[in-house]
Amino acid sequence: MFSNPQLIQFPQHEAIRFNPLADRALMHVQLNWLMFYLPLIGVLGAFYYINSDLWGHLKPYLLVITPVLIITSLFYNVLNVRLQGVAVRAHDIALKKGVIWQKVTILPLARVQHIEIHRGPLERKLGLASLKLYSAGGMSADLQLTGLTHTHCKEIRQFVQNYGIDGSKEQAINHD
Amino acid sequence: MTSDIHTHQNSQPVWQKVSPWALVYFVVHFSVRFVKDGLLNLLPMLVVFVTQVENKLFWGQIAALVAVCGLVLYSLLYYLNFKYSISDDNEILLNKGVLQKERLTLKFSRVQNVNIATPFYFTPVNLVNCIFDAAGSTAQEVVLPGVTNEYAQAMRKQIFTYKEKQQIATSDISDDTNDDDYDEKSLLISNKEIAKFGLMSNMAILAFAAAAPFINATINFLEKQLIANLEGFYKQELGLITTAAAFAVATLVVMLFLMAILLSVAMALARFYNFEVYFKDAKFKRISGLLERHQLTMSLDKVQSIVIKQNIMSRLLKRYTLQCLQASSGGWGANAAKKNKQTLVLPVLTKPQVNSVCQWVYPWFDSEKLIFKGAHRALLYKNLAFFAALPSVVIFGLCIALELTTLISVGGVIVLSGLVTLSYQGYGYYLHQDQGRHYLVIRKGMIGVQYRVFELYKAQSAHSISTYFMRKSSLSSVHIQLASGFAFMPYIKTPDANYLIDFTLYQVESDTRSWM
Repeated sequence: MFSNPQLIQFPQHEAIRFNPLADRALMHVQLNWLMFYLPLIGVLGAFYYINSDLWGHLKPYLLVITPVLIITSLFYNVLNVRLQGVAVRAHDIALKKGVIWQKVTILPLARVQHIEIHRGPLERKLGLASLKLYSAGGMSADLQLTGLTHTHCKEIRQFVQNYGIDGSKEQAINHD
Repeated sequence: MTSDIHTHQNSQPVWQKVSPWALVYFVVHFSVRFVKDGLLNLLPMLVVFVTQVENKLFWGQIAALVAVCGLVLYSLLYYLNFKYSISDDNEILLNKGVLQKERLTLKFSRVQNVNIATPFYFTPVNLVNCIFDAAGSTAQEVVLPGVTNEYAQAMRKQIFTYKEKQQIATSDISDDTNDDDYDEKSLLISNKEIAKFGLMSNMAILAFAAAAPFINATINFLEKQLIANLEGFYKQELGLITTAAAFAVATLVVMLFLMAILLSVAMALARFYNFEVYFKDAKFKRISGLLERHQLTMSLDKVQSIVIKQNIMSRLLKRYTLQCLQASSGGWGANAAKKNKQTLVLPVLTKPQVNSVCQWVYPWFDSEKLIFKGAHRALLYKNLAFFAALPSVVIFGLCIALELTTLISVGGVIVLSGLVTLSYQGYGYYLHQDQGRHYLVIRKGMIGVQYRVFELYKAQSAHSISTYFMRKSSLSSVHIQLASGFAFMPYIKTPDANYLIDFTLYQVESDTRSWM
């Protein structure tokens, strides 16, 4: 399943081949944003009824800004999902994300303290899940993998849990 | 209480009680917790009390009496239910709680430190608090209050002997300690120096922050009671009619400032009074404290990183603070660890003292001799644009709008550029190998300076961060997460950043030593 045995001698993270997110990850992100815009549109509608005079003044601006904002965020989401990637290697997990600030995070499996799988209503509907991996450092999860299929998440969790039990750590040391 | 440690040899634990004097500890402990946590929760009720209740004095006394009786009763019940046992499975079992009964099990292997604290109320009866710090968790701290010093020392010895046996069984690397480790090194800091730490630290600010919910009431009180009186004094005694109000406010500000300094000095003395630190067999032992003599023992292996820092005030006083940080749950957890005195702080060290402590732990470390690799100049240009030029343009615009002299913006650009340049020059990193161990030192600072030293295998995760323009210039920033804080080095050449991350990962993934 996880074919990435390139690290044994020296874990060259710049050579990692990242796997893209699940097919429905983009749909999930777009729907999440929509869930944010719907209440916003509701608030604007209520504003129209409460103060129609001020609405009249702001209407031309809102009619321009709101669609621009929505279209920009839709394109941003496409870019964001396409630029994300996950790689599970023999001894660590790597995540690449970010549009403006591109960040590559590598979490050694030997440092994972605990793992959580999260599934919101939308994720359940789309067959997706999020995986959070915690180490002893930082305030929140060191690695948060979103937009993966539930099966994939469970496989990664199993792989991480088995790490060290099946002697993979010892194998690495023998290769030094 | 004797110094014998009773362990149970079968499935039934032999429960032991602590000394009746421990009741004093519980009363003090729950009073402090009530003030720290309870009062904030009772703030809405306090507001209703102040604004709505008429006979405040009477009802206030009733409420205080109820609170005191409740605290004493709760402490008594807590003491009666408080039992502990040392099992032959090498674990500490603790039964505690009043309404919610708790059974806590702490394995010896998870104990990070055994600290011995002597509060002032235990000094006449020669008792101490024995504090067991669990690895990586401040919530899992176990305290046995009111035990004899001999018993606490015996407990500490038993736990460390067990842990040493465990380490020998699991690792052969820890055997390479130098012979000179067996010489005890010590450092004593005079109370006069500790007072200087009060000037350097921000302890008073923390105290003021804690009093923030009462700030409005305090200002009202000061306005009514102090400023009015001061104003009257300036008018009557000194004949200052027009400027009396301004003088009164200025006097109040000076008084508050002096109070803050005094408070800070007092808090520093309370924490570090008669400071002694010893280093032997790769273990630190620190004894300090005025009201509570706190004895902290920390194994060098447990130290996640060492931070040597000098802020503006300490730069003026030519002093440094050295912190040995242990694993914490990070962020808020790290603060809690500091509060729980799990961090070993060596305050107000002179440069020779810093060098001498570094000789104990990292003989190779000399901040002046290390050749640091700095950040790329692109960082300077970016920060000058964002943090000097841009704000100065805004200031210039405001000067025009408010019809002020535009020289202010010139001053702004000079000061901000100076600070940005100092900050840029402060960044640096240095990789070091010593006896087969690999260390990273990260330097940063604007007016002061901070060095973070850690062994690479202790890292928890690593990140590289870059923007489009950084990638075009082949630059990256490196962030290494530790179990106590993080190390960040911005804007270095991508090949160097990649090497730093890959080498860190290599150390983490190939080293068999326990990082915790």
